[in-house]
Amino acid sequence: MRIDELQLIAFGPFTDTVLDLSGGQEGFHLIYGSNEAGKSSALRALRHLLYGIPARSADNFLHPYPKMRIGASIRTGNGDVLKFIRRKGRSNTLRGPDDETMVEETLLQRFVSGIDVDLFAVMFGIGYDDLVRGGQDIIQGGGDVGRLVFSAGSGIANLLEIQNELQAEADYLFRPSGQKQKINEALIHLNQTRIELKSAQLKGQDWCGHDKAFRRALQRKEEVQSQLHMHLKKLNRLQRIQQALPLIAERKDLENDLRKYVDAILLPEDFSEKRRELLSKLANAETQKDQSHKNIESSTRAISELTFSQELLDNGDTVEAIHLELGSQNKAVKDRVQLETRRSALFAEAGEILKNLDDDLSLEEAEKRRIKKTEALKIRKLGAEYERIITRMEDARKRLPEITLEIEEMEKELGTLPGQRSLDALRQAMTDAEDYGSQEKHNRSEQADIKSALKTIELEQNRLGLKEKTFHEIESLPVPLPETIRIFEDRFDATDRLLNNIKGEFKKVQAALLEVEREIEANRLEQEVPTENDLLKARELRDMGWGLIVEIIENEPFSEETIQEYISNTAGLTTLAEAFDANMKQADFISDRLRREAGRVAEKAMLLAEQITHKDQLQQLEKDHEIAENERRQPTQEWTTLWQPLGINYRSPREMAQWANDFKLLVQKVRDLRNRRTKSDELQKDIDSHRMNLIQHLGTLEAKAIHDKDSLTSLIKKAQSIIALEEELLRKRDQLLRDKRKLENELKAAGSRLESSEKDLSGWQEQWEHAVRPIGLKGDAQPEEANVVMDELKNLFEKIKEADILQKRIIGIDRDREEFVHRVKGLVDVVAKDLAKRPAPEAALELHHRLKQSREARTKMETLEKQMEQERRRLSHASRNSADFETQLKAMCEEAGCRDIDQLPEAEQRSTKHREISARLESTDGHLRRLSGGVPVKDFIKEILEIDPDGIAGEIQNLEEAIEVLNGEKEALIETITIEKTELKRMDGSGKASESAEQIQIILAGIENNAEQYARLKIATKVLSMAIERYREKSQGPVLKRSSALFNQITGGAFDSIRAEYDDKGGPVIVGIRNRDKEIVRVEGMSDGTADQLYLALRLAGLEMYMENNEPIPFVVDDILIKFDNDRAAATLKVLAKISEKTQLIFFTHHHHLVQLADKYIHSSILFHHSL
Amino acid sequence: MFKFIHAADIHLDSPLRKLDFYEGAPVEEFRQATRRAFENLIQLAISENAAFVVIAGDLYDGDWKDYNTGLYLVSQMSRLRDAGISVFIVNGNHDAASNITKTLRFPDNVKIFPSDRPATFQMENPRVAIHGQGFASPAVKKDLASGYPMPVESFYNIGLLHTCATGREGHEPYAPCSLEDLKNKGYDYWALGHVHKHEVIEKHPHIVFSGNTQGRHPRETGSKGCVLVTVGHRQETEIEFISIDVVRWAIAEVDAGGAESGYDILDRVRKKLENLLEENDGMLLAARVYISGKTAAHGEIFSDLERWMNEIRSIAMDTGNGRIWVEKIKVGTRLPDSGQILEQKDGAIGELLKLFDELTAETNVHPDLINELADLERKLPRELKISGEGLKFSDSSWMKDTLEQVRPMLVKRLLRKGAGE
Repeated sequence: MRIDELQLIAFGPFTDTVLDLSGGQEGFHLIYGSNEAGKSSALRALRHLLYGIPARSADNFLHPYPKMRIGASIRTGNGDVLKFIRRKGRSNTLRGPDDETMVEETLLQRFVSGIDVDLFAVMFGIGYDDLVRGGQDIIQGGGDVGRLVFSAGSGIANLLEIQNELQAEADYLFRPSGQKQKINEALIHLNQTRIELKSAQLKGQDWCGHDKAFRRALQRKEEVQSQLHMHLKKLNRLQRIQQALPLIAERKDLENDLRKYVDAILLPEDFSEKRRELLSKLANAETQKDQSHKNIESSTRAISELTFSQELLDNGDTVEAIHLELGSQNKAVKDRVQLETRRSALFAEAGEILKNLDDDLSLEEAEKRRIKKTEALKIRKLGAEYERIITRMEDARKRLPEITLEIEEMEKELGTLPGQRSLDALRQAMTDAEDYGSQEKHNRSEQADIKSALKTIELEQNRLGLKEKTFHEIESLPVPLPETIRIFEDRFDATDRLLNNIKGEFKKVQAALLEVEREIEANRLEQEVPTENDLLKARELRDMGWGLIVEIIENEPFSEETIQEYISNTAGLTTLAEAFDANMKQADFISDRLRREAGRVAEKAMLLAEQITHKDQLQQLEKDHEIAENERRQPTQEWTTLWQPLGINYRSPREMAQWANDFKLLVQKVRDLRNRRTKSDELQKDIDSHRMNLIQHLGTLEAKAIHDKDSLTSLIKKAQSIIALEEELLRKRDQLLRDKRKLENELKAAGSRLESSEKDLSGWQEQWEHAVRPIGLKGDAQPEEANVVMDELKNLFEKIKEADILQKRIIGIDRDREEFVHRVKGLVDVVAKDLAKRPAPEAALELHHRLKQSREARTKMETLEKQMEQERRRLSHASRNSADFETQLKAMCEEAGCRDIDQLPEAEQRSTKHREISARLESTDGHLRRLSGGVPVKDFIKEILEIDPDGIAGEIQNLEEAIEVLNGEKEALIETITIEKTELKRMDGSGKASESAEQIQIILAGIENNAEQYARLKIATKVLSMAIERYREKSQGPVLKRSSALFNQITGGAFDSIRAEYDDKGGPVIVGIRNRDKEIVRVEGMSDGTADQLYLALRLAGLEMYMENNEPIPFVVDDILIKFDNDRAAATLKVLAKISEKTQLIFFTHHHHLVQLADKYIHSSILFHHSL
Repeated sequence: MFKFIHAADIHLDSPLRKLDFYEGAPVEEFRQATRRAFENLIQLAISENAAFVVIAGDLYDGDWKDYNTGLYLVSQMSRLRDAGISVFIVNGNHDAASNITKTLRFPDNVKIFPSDRPATFQMENPRVAIHGQGFASPAVKKDLASGYPMPVESFYNIGLLHTCATGREGHEPYAPCSLEDLKNKGYDYWALGHVHKHEVIEKHPHIVFSGNTQGRHPRETGSKGCVLVTVGHRQETEIEFISIDVVRWAIAEVDAGGAESGYDILDRVRKKLENLLEENDGMLLAARVYISGKTAAHGEIFSDLERWMNEIRSIAMDTGNGRIWVEKIKVGTRLPDSGQILEQKDGAIGELLKLFDELTAETNVHPDLINELADLERKLPRELKISGEGLKFSDSSWMKDTLEQVRPMLVKRLLRKGAGE
């Protein structure tokens, strides 16, 4: 199958783009597209065309899904053509060229030999990625022969990778001694779950055993409990009695004691307490009275000792004010010294400044130098103006010579510019020629076409036997009309037919004659049929013998010689009798045969007659033939007359009919060509005249670089460049003149600027002299100088001002001091005349001290007076309390029947004792009541007194021991019950075991699933390796042989060949043989590029092998050469070109250099360019 | 008027068979299905106020050894006792094989028929006579029904029998009996067990298989439960099948014929599962998915079967919202006639295809292939090798099926380049 045309009607970036791939027998179709041209879209379109556009195609960015269309015209090796359009859709996506009629998919599949989409992509397409993958696979697989041969035969680039993937997936599921694989893991889990199941399962007898034990323990526990109850009851009674015995004895003693205190007066329980309290309070009151008396006395004494001055206290505020002022007075004295020092320093500094101003003025006269602020401002303003004037003047002075120089340079440059030339004529000539320029190229190719057409016609002419004829002769050649030729054809046909008939008849008769002769011969060979003649001859012989015998019998003389001769006539006989007998029998025999074989005799006679008839017929036919030959001569002669004048080799009318037809076409071509040539020649003449015109104009302008043979286009270009150059010159001159004018104006301006500046300077000088005079400067002083003098003067006046301020402060301090002394003296005269002689600060301090002392003494006296008053109040209170307590004590003595307080304690003791004994008796009865078990105490006592107290202890011990035993048993039983209950509770009908069983089923299902997948992977791996091995055995020889040659070519001879070797493990591997040193290179030692090329060689060999036995399928190559160096790329292109002789080769590339390489190395008759 | 319940083949704690676990499978919902179905039975008896319950054998699996199952059964029987409901039980073949049967003590509302002779239990209110005989051994081949006593006059007579009846496919031929004998016995109702599919064999008198209470494997599809029998004043009998199962087995047969892509097939699976859910009123389903038919997506599916299985499982999760467990997925698709690699017998791929043809046609599995799987076979648990659908690596029809699956997978992987773009 091959593709004649690929129509990208609406697909990816394409709209109605048509690739005409019909060129060549099969053709090397090179499709070039720059990066964005849609090369990969076109590549995809090719596959989608044959196998449908996928549901999720991304090639809909321009044309929506329903509009997508790819069309094609394809053709098989035996000439079947299919034109169809593929649209996008789910079904019925194949349509006829009208985009309506349905086309069966199976029809298209016949064209692609039933190869499915995947195989098509893999086996009949190769891209750069495949190449790289294939190369890597070779290196990684160590060049394993089987794998490489299989790759070559299938186009699979990454066979090793696929095998490894299968293995890895299987390994992920299972490994014979693995732990972590899915199946291995599940098996471990399965065993664990089985163990769990076993341990969760409960056995029937276990449950029954526990149930029985539980029930037994429960029953025994009941019995033990009732026994315990009895024992405890008994024990309890005995213990009560044992406890009651000492109580009864105690009760008797108490009753005896109580009798001693029957007459005691029962006092209130708090009586003693109250008594003791009253006595203590009375003592306290007495102590308080004494203390108060003492305090009053000591306070009175202290007051009498205190002294203070009332006058001082009255003038307290004044004393304090003076004391306060004393601090500031002291500080002022210190400040005054500092102020004085600072003031003298300032005066010294001022004097220094004045002296520096180079003046004889004293400080007092300095005032003369003081100027007003406005005057100072004016001096500064004038200074600044001076700067401006000077700058402007200097600038003008500097600029003047510079401008002059620039103008001079410009004039020099203007002088060097070439003179202006007139180009109008050239321009006109060029405009005239421009129209023809575009036609020139076209005309050249037209002439080339004409030349090649001429060659075609020439070939045709030769074929038609018109080699020497000119076109004119050909056009005017009087070739007979086709009708005439047809008439001759008919005439020749008629005579030929007649001749043929005769010839046929002749042959038929000849054959019949031959047949007759053959039958005659056969008849003869079978056995000669005797004729009458034969009979006559035999009888003659017989009769002759008889005559001889008669002669002998009759004793007639006989010649022995005659007899001997007669005998000898019959071979093998010796006597006359024998000979006669033989001849007689012979005669009889012939006679018999004649009678017997009369039929055969007749047949032979008829055959002989037929033979004669046929011979006569043949003679007649020969005559007829001669006549017919003569009849044929007439048209032949006329035919010759018709053609001879033309002077060509003429043949039969039928041939000449074809010839005349071809000739007519030739004439047509000749006529066309003549017209084309005339037109083209005229055009060329026009072009040449324009060329000459241009050459002439150009020649006048530019002597060199003009050739007579220059094409019009190049001349136009030259003219254009000259005009452009000239225009550039003109522009430059204008620019220079403009610049020069500007500079001249500038020169003038600079001159006038200088002049005005000089005038300004003289005006300024006058104002300056006037302004600086007050500060003692002359007119020639610089502005900076004036500024310095003004700054110094300002400094001087500031210092003088500060010294004045200091002087004023010193005077103020002296005045304050005098006032203070006066005030102190006044105060001392009033309150402390003894201090009149002391200096004022000292007196002020002393006064303050005395004031503080007087104030303290007065405060102390006031406190003492307040304390004394309080003490007096306390004394009267204590006296009142003391009398009250004594009265209360007297009343208590009366209650206890005592005369005085001292007897009270004894009465109290008796009362208490009585009360105590009664209480204890009551308590003993309480105890007994509790032990009696509800019986009245008296009855209880009576009951106990009847029992033997010594037996009780033994009985109690017995009971206690029995109870202990029973309790132990009970505890054990409770434990048993708890344990069994727990056991039974654990066996609660839980579903744990069944859950484990469910889990086992789940695990089994998982294992089964994974095992199935594992089996599929392992089987796939195995079948693949079996297939690889089988294919290797079958194809290794031819594939290696062919790919060896291809590898040699593709590597440009760097490698001599490849061959199979054995690796370290004894497996067959492919190695390369380097040409240079015949060294064996293992694939691991090959560069990536070489491995890629090895892969390519294998692929192409596989492809070629396939093509040998199958309908070819176009081979699509996608830019595989981008990493090849130019030599190897060229070699590969040549190899591919060779393949393109067997199948259509579609080569996509982005790379322009590959297009150029293809042009260079592939013959143009098989290389066809297409661009996207 | 009174009601009673007829159930059989409870197979308590018998696990659901070989559910394939995957992330997201509703494991919890499927736990203890037989117990929960049994609890449904008990609840039904109580809420319908049934006079009694008859169980026609096979309470447990014969080889199940956990006494807990018996204790659980006792606890459920106690619930019936508390509700005043009697239970009549004959032992089936599984019970006879079970150790649990021998030692279990039931509460007094439960009556077990003897195994050595037929017996009759009579009730006064309602007036019912129940006749039965249990299995003494796991394989009883003789006709037990023929020895059953004559009906009791003026009582409602029930025959309780574990039997294969006249023989049922897939069930052991135990205690066979003829239909005529049963009809002629003069009983009002024959409560039969052993056959797991509910079936009303006769209506005059009623001869009924209740079927089992909970399906446990893919061959036990459809609704499972018990029979609620209502007996009128004149002994007229109405029966109603009540489904009490908690998990239902279903088969989703998906025809992938003509599907364009794997996603097309997924859509069909989704639709099928939705239908199944609807048909089963949203019951929990254990669904086996069979995909068959001729489709262009055949190669696509087999080139990465694992992935497509996961897709189907996630569709089940999505569709069922936890109501569907995809028990197993079996893919048996074929390439459409037009999609075959028709004449490709040349070249390496041709060689591979030829090899596949040869291996598939062989009557004995190629020893190399068996050898590849020998390691795995040694490790596989016994259960997977003996069951009907087990992994029989040396069985030629198993290998043929597997090769049919491997072929497109391998070819697609080898020619994967074509699939892109």
